[in-house]
Amino acid sequence: MDLIVKERDRLLQRTARVFGLSFTVVSLICLSLPGSVDLPTYAICFPLYVVLGFLQYMIGRSRSLGWVTAAYIVGLVIIILVTTLPLTSPGQSATSAVIQMAGASLASTAIVLTTDAPRRVALVAGFVMVSLTTALVTSSFQPISRTLASIVLGWTLAAVIGFWVSAGVPQVARRIASIGRAHRAERHASETEAQRRQGARLLHDTVLATLTLLAHSGVGVAPDAMRQQSADDARLLRQLRLGATPIPQSSGNYNLEKVEETVLGTTLESVKQRFGRMGLEVSWHGTGQVLLPSDVLDAFLLALAECLENVRRHSGVTEAHVTITDDENTIRAMITDAGVGFLLDDVDSARLGFKESVVGRLKEVGGRARLFSSPGSGTTVVLEVPR
Amino acid sequence: MTYSPPEENTLGVILGRGKRREADATRRVIRAATPLRSSLGIGFIGVGAILIVGLFAAYSLVWLVALWDTYSDPLIALAAWGVLIAVLVTTVLATRSLVGELSNWMFAIFLAGLAVAIALDFYAIWPLHNIGGYATASVTAGVALVIVIVMRRATHILVCAGVVGLAFAVCMAINTNLAPGNVAPQVTTLALAVVPAFIGVVLVRGFRRLVQIELDRVLVQSTVSAPRFAVGMMASEELARLDLAAEELLDSVSTGRTKLPLDPKTASVAASLATELRLHLIEGRRETWLYHAITESDLLGKVVTLADKGSLAGLLDPQQRDGLLSSVWLLISDTAKSATRRVQIDVRPVTQSVETGYGRKITIPITLTITGVARNKVDPATWEALGKIGQYSDSTQNSTLRVEIACLVDNPAEQ
Repeated sequence: MDLIVKERDRLLQRTARVFGLSFTVVSLICLSLPGSVDLPTYAICFPLYVVLGFLQYMIGRSRSLGWVTAAYIVGLVIIILVTTLPLTSPGQSATSAVIQMAGASLASTAIVLTTDAPRRVALVAGFVMVSLTTALVTSSFQPISRTLASIVLGWTLAAVIGFWVSAGVPQVARRIASIGRAHRAERHASETEAQRRQGARLLHDTVLATLTLLAHSGVGVAPDAMRQQSADDARLLRQLRLGATPIPQSSGNYNLEKVEETVLGTTLESVKQRFGRMGLEVSWHGTGQVLLPSDVLDAFLLALAECLENVRRHSGVTEAHVTITDDENTIRAMITDAGVGFLLDDVDSARLGFKESVVGRLKEVGGRARLFSSPGSGTTVVLEVPR
Repeated sequence: MTYSPPEENTLGVILGRGKRREADATRRVIRAATPLRSSLGIGFIGVGAILIVGLFAAYSLVWLVALWDTYSDPLIALAAWGVLIAVLVTTVLATRSLVGELSNWMFAIFLAGLAVAIALDFYAIWPLHNIGGYATASVTAGVALVIVIVMRRATHILVCAGVVGLAFAVCMAINTNLAPGNVAPQVTTLALAVVPAFIGVVLVRGFRRLVQIELDRVLVQSTVSAPRFAVGMMASEELARLDLAAEELLDSVSTGRTKLPLDPKTASVAASLATELRLHLIEGRRETWLYHAITESDLLGKVVTLADKGSLAGLLDPQQRDGLLSSVWLLISDTAKSATRRVQIDVRPVTQSVETGYGRKITIPITLTITGVARNKVDPATWEALGKIGQYSDSTQNSTLRVEIACLVDNPAEQ
């Protein structure tokens, strides 16, 4: 609320500045017309107009009442000088200049004098001072009623602008605050929804694997297998979209039941089958039956699958070996191929999806990954997760 | 379901073209939150405009009565008023109650009505050879442009005001006998007919900006209660869109509508979908409320840069977050010179842990580096807001204001 009040003041100040400066210029033009005032008077008044212009410019920037007061003083001085100083009686144009000064240029200050009680007092004081002075000094040139009518109109319009904006801003602030509350609720809802979708990680991993195959135009995979896999994943995504949180279990990729611990062996077998379908022969060695907490198992299997995918895509061979060993604290998988290999420095590991898909995942469950390779001598990846 | 490539990805890149579209997060959020955004508070200002025109019309009508005997044919001047009032009343009723908006043809009718009123009024006072001295309905017609100011673009209003001004100037030049005493009324009348529309445009534009800033601020404020790490406001929507795109692609592959092997274009779509899904799934929750606040806001996003490698801003409690956001708002939204302002927020690693009465706390040093604003131009409320974050000290160097804040937060390791 505090900030919007500042913005409101700024808006009123800027409006007052445009209002005031426009009519100061109009008043100056009237004064500059031939037959208005004699040259000495004009020479004295012109600098005062410049000063008034500066003061009105400052009213647009600062909330201080000092600028407003100074503007009143300078404006009144101009009004008095224009009407009393000339040796020959001032012309019709000079009267117009005075009316524009009192009824519009100085009236513009009313816009910034509406927001609180002390300012309203200043507004009334300013109005009384300016209107009385002007009516008095112009009484010999035109009827007082006419002078006062113009001045009252100008000040009324300016005050209405000020009051109206002041009244409108709190309304807007309330509306915006209610939008803000709705938005906060929406943010929480969005957070929950994102969590649900992100929580469906296994689903997304199978989808990602399939998309990655498609990104390579599905080359190297039997079209039927590809279509089958796409159909399964599309169905799972549809379920997610319709509100369920599906867990892929039967597409042959992963086997996940919502149990605390899952046997590694059966799931390793499904990974092997999946890569077999895609033309990469995976040979398993070592431990076949290990129990792992399901989140660790997920990370482990996904990292493993990612490594095998890299072998399938980049190594140039159709066979990979996976050796699983375990001790009291860790489970270790070593993925080896006899393919082309690469210089570790040459290939950006991010390009292989290694950093995010493998290292990142394992890190989340307290594991790690190491990569060994050199051109011509194949690649070995060691994955470790805690038991 | 047939597959059609998504027109743009979540990073705002139009697929297949590689052009970056300007991301305008707040506008999207606001559009989602308020279908009638443009009407926010503007309707009330519109009523004020009607009031202003009404007051001015009443004043001018008094003049008409006062000058009644001067006119050679006062009925024509009265007819001008009749047309003008009919047009204004119809427009106000139509826009405020019946239709609720001002379509192009209604605007055209409104302008035509004003033109007729001005023409009739000029015709009535033509024999007097002093348009500035006797114009009533025509001046009010110029002021009346203010009525539609909240419903039309600023340029439309300004062009119309310009045309009215031009009409006045030309007729005055042709009609008026230029005597020394005659010119000033022409000048003031011309100004009266044109300037109100101009002031109105400035006011409405400023008001819209005020609403925009406040909306931006309030929407971003909701991050104050966000969890330590959060997905952004758009994350779930984007994830849902990606999921749907993936679903459609997979579906079309499985039904054989998309032939295998895929053509290179579809393959690249699959690749970019996979990349984005990865980004969203893996990187999505690494950002703090502060990051989201800055990226979601039009204003903050342009001027504030954040360096928070350890995502420590997430540890701040709601009050500290509020203080930090408020102080940044106060620093950037002040005065017209904000174009050159830059605020850099550095959240650096934990320096020490201290024992307080409420358990062990750790200190996070936060540094605000503000360029483009002098120390004495900073709003006093800023210091108050900074105090909410923690103990601070400020220094000035090379016209850069630097505020160091020691922010005490709960130790996450003990929670």
